[in-house]
Amino acid sequence: MISLYLAERTWLHGVPAGWKLLALALISLAVTPFDSLPLMAGLVAATLALYASLGRAAFAQVALLRPMWPLFAILIALHWWNGDILLGLVVSLRIVAMILIANAVTMTTRMDAMMDVIEPALRPLGWFGIPPRSVALAVAMMIRFVPLLFALWEALNESWRARTGKRGGWRLLAPFCIQTLRLSHHTAEALAARGGVFRGERR
Amino acid sequence: MPNASLISLDRVTLRRGGRVVLDGISLTFTEPRIGLIGNNGSGKSSLVRLLNGLLAADEGRVVVHGLDAREKAAELPRKVGFIFQNPDHQIIFPTVVEEIAFSLEQAGRTRREAAGEAKAALARFDRESWADRPVHALSEGEKQLLCIIAVLVMEPAVIVLDEPFSSLDLPTRRRLERLIAGLPQQVLMIAHELDAFDLYDRVVWLHEGRVRMDGPPVEVVSAYRDMVEAEAGG
Repeated sequence: MISLYLAERTWLHGVPAGWKLLALALISLAVTPFDSLPLMAGLVAATLALYASLGRAAFAQVALLRPMWPLFAILIALHWWNGDILLGLVVSLRIVAMILIANAVTMTTRMDAMMDVIEPALRPLGWFGIPPRSVALAVAMMIRFVPLLFALWEALNESWRARTGKRGGWRLLAPFCIQTLRLSHHTAEALAARGGVFRGERR
Repeated sequence: MPNASLISLDRVTLRRGGRVVLDGISLTFTEPRIGLIGNNGSGKSSLVRLLNGLLAADEGRVVVHGLDAREKAAELPRKVGFIFQNPDHQIIFPTVVEEIAFSLEQAGRTRREAAGEAKAALARFDRESWADRPVHALSEGEKQLLCIIAVLVMEPAVIVLDEPFSSLDLPTRRRLERLIAGLPQQVLMIAHELDAFDLYDRVVWLHEGRVRMDGPPVEVVSAYRDMVEAEAGG
């Protein structure tokens, strides 16, 4: 679900992060009770229009839905089985719209702006001894490492195919985990080299 | 009172996993440009990790520009900037400006100050347009430059580079070498690209946790080459 930040500025980049997150929350609340097919189709169309207004690079990101087709197929098939294929379509369209709208927010909002909005909400964590800054850092690092982990998977898949001619699939899982741990070890070291997150004790 | 512009290791021994990695090493670095060479596993990476508290010596004393590495470990990261082999391991944030701002926040700036100074730092390197770029869109050389900028804004006294050229093409490497040559900081660099040390003041050759040779780059590098060739031939 987490997509890449859009480098070229669009009008949506200029909208404050708080407004975008609020709009996202309101829209997702507002569309939940409705089961009307035209309404959902309209919402998806409006979302696509939003993407079109953000330019070509943004529109290309609609492709992020591609890995989700099986999910939609299963959803629709289940509802068809239940005798309500229309509801299956409505549910699928709603998911499509919400994913795209959420993605529109992440691809036009810088991480620090997002965290400025979210951090006050995290403040109660401080009462349990969890510093909000660490949580903010963890979220930022997650966003940062998703494309890196994809690249890692691709690299493993390539070396597998280079030697077997077949796709690695689930067999890559174990080496992927090992490589991910190695990566996290290196990153932890780099973070420590810059003073770490917590001041004080360090080996 | 220890000399403020010097790095000293006094009979330092380091063990990792029951293996002696550094074996009673004593070295004093006062020169501005120092190279570290040696085979893999010779202890180079461990040695530089002692200098900013990533590793702690089991025996002996390490002093970096007046700071005892054991007692003042928490202050070392601001004194010693570290550039790692793979920038992807080092970059923590999704966008360029955040990555640099993080260093500044570590150095005590507020978030607002940090963002402003990060942009100013990019401007000093003629890279203002990078500010909002996602880091995954940068080339390897650009990522390495970002790592260096993010370290430089902390205004360290020493910069340690651990095989910084490994994934760079020759033109990018040359540009980076020129950049490093112009830095006001004391530089300690590990590299397998032996010609990178041509203009350095001193090269130390580590072998199995000990100093095998220490002196001017030309002599040390050629002695190392001779040994490697002799072993490959025999």
